[in-house]
Amino acid sequence: MRKLIQTLLDHIGARLPLPFRVMHQQFLLRVVDLEALSIEADIPSFLGQFAGILMMLSFVHGLGVLWFPPPPSQTWQYEQARVSDVLLVIGLCSVLMWDTTFPDKRDVMVLAPLPVFPRTILMAKLAASATVLGIAVIALNCGSSLGLSVVFGAPAGGLLGMLRFFLAYWFTMFAAAAFLYGAVLTIQGCAVLFLSRRMFLRVSAILQLAAFGVFLGVRFLQPSLTTHAEMTAPANHWLVVASPTFWFVALLNQLNDSSPSDLLWLAHRAWISLGIVAAGALTSLLLCYMRNMKKTVEDPDLEPGTGGRHWIPRLGGSLQNAIVIFCLRSIARSRQHRVALALYWSVVFAVALSWIRREISNPPEPIALDFIMSSFVMMSFAVLGLRGIFALPVSLQANWMLRVTQLQPTGQYVAATRRCLLLFGVVPIWTMVAALSLHLRPWPQTAQHLAFLALFGAVLVELCLVRFDKVPFTCSYLPGKTNIQAIFWGFAFILLALGLLLGTFEVDAFENPLNYALMMLCAFAAITALRTINSLHARSAVLYFEEQPPEVLTRLGLIFVPPAPKISDLPKSSQP
Amino acid sequence: MLELRRVSKHFSGIPAVDDVSFSARPGEVTGYLGPNGSGKSTTIKMITGLIEVTSGHILFDGKSIEDDLIAYKRRMGYVPEEPYLYNHLSGVEYLTMVADLRGIPPRLASKRIDGLLRLLSLYDDRHAAISGYSKGMRQKVLIAAALMHNPNLVLLDEPFSGLDVGSALVLRSLITELAVRGKVVLFSSHELDTVERISNRVIILHRGKLVADDSVARLRSLMELPTLEAIFSQLAVEQDTDSMARQIADLIDA
Repeated sequence: MRKLIQTLLDHIGARLPLPFRVMHQQFLLRVVDLEALSIEADIPSFLGQFAGILMMLSFVHGLGVLWFPPPPSQTWQYEQARVSDVLLVIGLCSVLMWDTTFPDKRDVMVLAPLPVFPRTILMAKLAASATVLGIAVIALNCGSSLGLSVVFGAPAGGLLGMLRFFLAYWFTMFAAAAFLYGAVLTIQGCAVLFLSRRMFLRVSAILQLAAFGVFLGVRFLQPSLTTHAEMTAPANHWLVVASPTFWFVALLNQLNDSSPSDLLWLAHRAWISLGIVAAGALTSLLLCYMRNMKKTVEDPDLEPGTGGRHWIPRLGGSLQNAIVIFCLRSIARSRQHRVALALYWSVVFAVALSWIRREISNPPEPIALDFIMSSFVMMSFAVLGLRGIFALPVSLQANWMLRVTQLQPTGQYVAATRRCLLLFGVVPIWTMVAALSLHLRPWPQTAQHLAFLALFGAVLVELCLVRFDKVPFTCSYLPGKTNIQAIFWGFAFILLALGLLLGTFEVDAFENPLNYALMMLCAFAAITALRTINSLHARSAVLYFEEQPPEVLTRLGLIFVPPAPKISDLPKSSQP
Repeated sequence: MLELRRVSKHFSGIPAVDDVSFSARPGEVTGYLGPNGSGKSTTIKMITGLIEVTSGHILFDGKSIEDDLIAYKRRMGYVPEEPYLYNHLSGVEYLTMVADLRGIPPRLASKRIDGLLRLLSLYDDRHAAISGYSKGMRQKVLIAAALMHNPNLVLLDEPFSGLDVGSALVLRSLITELAVRGKVVLFSSHELDTVERISNRVIILHRGKLVADDSVARLRSLMELPTLEAIFSQLAVEQDTDSMARQIADLIDA
């Protein structure tokens, strides 16, 4: 996959003008935020791995559809799901690529003195975004498109029907992706044009998080309308009018010639909305590049003080307070870290939103395995995601200050990190699960589950601290250590299996107080043991700020170190 | 007193600092001079404990700094060569973090931070993100961070970099005042005029080796040269500067 993407990029690149190529390469590097998700600092590798995950999902889906073909009555349900998935993935990509299409100060300062036209910069940025989005759409649909074309296209019109469905499907998916990204660009463009730069920078961060919430919320809270009757019911009229998912499902059916005539207006809505966002995005981008590029340089960097709104309660002793608040501010203010954490937390929010939807639509229900398992998965992703972003540095060059002020033993720094993981990982998830549990009965069992969940969170925290002799957000990492695909699938399988195992045991334990006590005791024992191990290790550990590369890298094979002789090879007089 | 005894630092076998010995006494300002790449910043980083010496010893008040590095760091203030700070924090947040890391009680820290920010003309911008600060403002934050715990040893690596004329004059007087109050002050700078005015002693480094260590007055009389600039040029500048300037102009003209 990596080679394929590299060849593709080289092939396309060779036909384009050099300045465009150079800038496209640079912007692509920044679009995918390799600082946050480093894979050998290599763009094709990253895109390849990203595409690999989506392709795997797509092929699993496609094979599932072929293996267990759904009846034709479920066509709309499947189409809606695919459109929703595309909108979600493109939405998350937009969040990941936030602001990168618009000119920033760095671009202006570096590129404006060079003989490069603003339109070339704009085209290179758009091409970089399109590369990532295109890969996402293709990877997400390559398997599904084949499966769905065979299942839903072939029965209606044979090979031609299959081909027609296939083409309609791809066009719709690209149109949906273009619509969503265009809408994001239009909103951002309006913010750039109508707000002062200072205000824009503030609003942009809020918009990014809001967009993230909206994309997830729509995907997991939006009801599925699977029949013609449901789509045309007056009660659902507001939903089909407001939700782009239904517009693009209608578009797919219009192109496939399978749409009922009374739903064609929805397809028209898709065309009109596409036109509006395309015009909006292009206009705002052009205006930004023509009008705002020079203004960007003129705008002062310095934001005025904002009085006493910066008060934060002390969160522990002197050192702990410093580290915990540093972490909080790094998460809150660093786009790179926020986005990386959002990727992990998207799983948490997806599960939470599914439960909220269930809570709204169903009466109170008994606590069951699926809820217990979900809460373990949420806790695991939240804590391990936090630990993951702790390893990404905020500013390596500024670390000298932490080294000069290292006046406490390493154990104190580990304790501060523990507090961060508990405060920003365990406590929010536990609170969220407690709120979701209000729906569950009987309450004593819910309380038992919450008590165990707290201990489970504490075990995860201690596991995260094993050999973590560094201050969060300060240690350099070696390129190539992160392997997003392995980590993603590792997380998905291990955590789901762990959640299932623990959940099954816990459900049984509710019926047997002795088993429950044993389970709690095991959790306590695990916490104690891990905490002791971490404390003992911290006593002799040295806080480090830079990963040491393997010797083979630093020597580059230029120095030959002879292997140690075997004892039998030594002269007898030297042998012990 | 700060003492360096036969200190060397090698990077991949190449000496950056070679067998350097000198001492800096309380109540004195010691100027540390040398061309780019002569090993000044490396020496200062070794004195801060940021990098380890390859050989030799660094002593403060007669004890090796390695014996109790934490106690030593409590007594040391350091302004680095480059104003690298955590850009996502504001000036006041950064200083509060440093105060917390140094274990300064919150009330005292708040009082000192407010005072330093006012005196360094940063108070109005204290809540603004450091990413928006100019180089001079960053330098002032570094100076405040280095001094707020009232250190006994003050290490300043090119502290005048980026400061406006007024602030530079304040810093010049501050360095002298710190020495008068009994602190050990070691500072490196390329501003020879300033070094000549405020230093009790100067140390000149060239290609990692110490080439001069004395008071400016004695160096002037020994070398029979009128200014520190002339002494420095004689000891540490190898090339003919006028000829080099001509060569550069010729190259871009060609």
